Amino acid sequence: MASTYLDLSNEVLRELNEVVLTSGTFESATGIQAFVKDAINKSIFDIANEEPQLPFFSAGASGGTDPFYGNVTVATSEGVRWYTLKSGSSNISTDYSSVDWDDFYLTTINVSGETTPYVSKGLRFLTLSDWKQYYRDSENADDANGSDASHGEPRFVIKSPDHRKFGLSPIPDKVYNVHFYAFDKPTALSAYNDAITMPEQYSNVVTARTRYYVHQFKENLQQASFALDEYKKNMRTMKSNLINPTPTYMSDDRTYF
Amino acid sequence: MAGSQPFSVPLAGGLNKSTNSLALLQTPGVATKLRNFEVSPEGGYRRINGFSLFGDTLPNTTNDVEGLLVYADGVLAVVGDDIFFSQDGENAWLQVNKASVAGSGDDYSTFTGRSELALSSVDQCEFAVYEGTSQYGEVVITDKSGNNKPFLFKMTGSSANLNARTYFASQITISGSTTAKFCTIHDQHLVVAGDPATPNTIYYSSTGDIDHFTGTGSGSVTLEDKVVGLKSFRNELFIFCQNSIFKLQNINNAATTAVVPVTKNVGCLDGQTIQEIAGDLIFLAPDGFRTVAGTSRIGDVELGTISQAIQPLVNDIAAAANTLQFSSVVLRDKSQYRMFYSTSTDTAATSRGIIGTLRPQGFEWSETLGIQAPAITSGFDSTGLEKVYHGDRDGKIYNHNLGNSFNGSNIEAEYQSPDYDYGDLGTLKTLDYAKIAFTPEGDAQPTLRVRFDYDSLDTPQPADVILTEIPEPAIFGKALFGAQRFGATEQPLVRQALTGSGHSNFFKIFSADTNAPYAINGLYVNYRPSGRQ
Repeated sequence: MASTYLDLSNEVLRELNEVVLTSGTFESATGIQAFVKDAINKSIFDIANEEPQLPFFSAGASGGTDPFYGNVTVATSEGVRWYTLKSGSSNISTDYSSVDWDDFYLTTINVSGETTPYVSKGLRFLTLSDWKQYYRDSENADDANGSDASHGEPRFVIKSPDHRKFGLSPIPDKVYNVHFYAFDKPTALSAYNDAITMPEQYSNVVTARTRYYVHQFKENLQQASFALDEYKKNMRTMKSNLINPTPTYMSDDRTYF
Repeated sequence: MAGSQPFSVPLAGGLNKSTNSLALLQTPGVATKLRNFEVSPEGGYRRINGFSLFGDTLPNTTNDVEGLLVYADGVLAVVGDDIFFSQDGENAWLQVNKASVAGSGDDYSTFTGRSELALSSVDQCEFAVYEGTSQYGEVVITDKSGNNKPFLFKMTGSSANLNARTYFASQITISGSTTAKFCTIHDQHLVVAGDPATPNTIYYSSTGDIDHFTGTGSGSVTLEDKVVGLKSFRNELFIFCQNSIFKLQNINNAATTAVVPVTKNVGCLDGQTIQEIAGDLIFLAPDGFRTVAGTSRIGDVELGTISQAIQPLVNDIAAAANTLQFSSVVLRDKSQYRMFYSTSTDTAATSRGIIGTLRPQGFEWSETLGIQAPAITSGFDSTGLEKVYHGDRDGKIYNHNLGNSFNGSNIEAEYQSPDYDYGDLGTLKTLDYAKIAFTPEGDAQPTLRVRFDYDSLDTPQPADVILTEIPEPAIFGKALFGAQRFGATEQPLVRQALTGSGHSNFFKIFSADTNAPYAINGLYVNYRPSGRQ
């Protein structure tokens, strides 16, 4: 199996009975070899686009700030509603690929100057349209009047229309820490020894998708169809293994029946 | 487009240097490179034999070998400025350019005691053998220096011991101090030409008396062009000049003796390239190898270039002809004409040659590299066996076409096919495997190289593959215990998995070793067409 860019490329080239690459020839690959290299990156992007919240795309290890779930922490400021999801990111191409909007958590634990009892609660996701319809005008009226009467402990998290920021409602009245879970965009492989981020056992998802592209390139539609089926099957298995490995159960949280 | 397709090519046609790459798609059996291979009379391309030293004694230290002749039960060799004879090259060679030898012949001790007949700055030699009634015939030797009169040598005696034989040697006087560069025997006459003072004149001896040019039947003819070679063919004497060719007819009838022009448009580059093969004369003209075909036509001559397939190669040779030394020979059992050429400063490794094999479709060509042969000869010795020898510029004489090495060095042989498009140059093909039909003459292990799209740098090219060792088969009636492989097929098909894809590809099979020769008879390729990119 393969774990580096060179290994993956050669695995596909061998399957296609093509000339394999070496670390020396990798940079200057031409023809079908160059196409396979491109197709591998395209395949990885396809996987990320289809399921961006696969664990190996995680922006970091969860629970970095014990005991809170999440791998990103953003500190709020008093009177500021909007916060960039990824600190230091200058545009959408460097932002996170995906954020778990159903899992934002607000707390004052570890905030300087805060003492017990701490604030510690989940933030409900509020759609932008609901926020606009029910909260925006009233919360912004105070700012317009030079008052901060409506500032308070945030209860909702909202997504900015450009997908680059999260907003809090109400506008925070002090410093809180917001924890959430984010996933990075995959980086295109470049050097021969660049390693794929996924476990090696799932590299066949990449190679199946790559073969799908190469067979299309060679106008071998039947083989392309076979490769696509294999990719779908492998993708399904990978998602099943990595995203839903826990026991399945149903719950009913309705209060009144 | 996924189904695999077969493609098979019998190898035939020889080296082709003059056809463009697209036209070559229609002739997949020819070779674009065929070095140190020969076109096999049975078809296919066979790696040539090597050569090995003729004995372990040099005739005359490291002087150039200027001429060789299979004579009696040994070899006559002109090395440096002296002439020698040996039966096996093992012991000291017998020097035969002796002065004052008795007209009735000398016995061995008298002959060896004679003073040396000094020859001056001897160059490449020509030999003419007058069989007459003597045991081994009389040999006339001329050389291209133009410094020396023809030298006559004869040996008689059937004893295996040279001590018991009789020797005759003398210089032939043509007229005063006239010398000769070229000689031949024609219809009981010795014919010579090339005297520097009279380069356009041929002289012929008395009838049946080759060492006298003043008796009955002798004479001379002056032509309008400089003579570069003489060859007796059937009942006519062909006189090859620089820019024309003539034939002398009826030499034995003074009243009807005539010199008839064959052509005044084409000459011969070098008389050393003239050979008789398969009822025809072949020679190197400025525009290629030509034959003088008079097989079935009386009084008519047909000239034709027979080397169109290697014309670029011939053009290069013609352009450098004045710096090259030529020699040629015919290997009768192979129906082969071999011409070797090199400059005086070429090493053995850089010396080249051309092999033309006569096949039903005409001559098919290949090249040699690594055989330095300014002197070469083939002929039947006194036991009726065909012998072939060549000599180099280090004074060494070799058994030509014998053994598996160039006197111990590797034979670097390569065959390269034209690009195959498998019927459609526009379709991308992925190669699965090839089966190569070999005829091994011993254990052989050549290397296979595949190159796609005319060796394009934009197409990934696979690494060379050393083929699985091809064992020499054990053939009933020929095999020796422990020497051959029982169960090996006589003409194995070696299967080799291939990688890579392209719109076309060529195959190159090469070896650089001292293994036994092998013939490549054909190729079978399994491929998968993969769309039209």
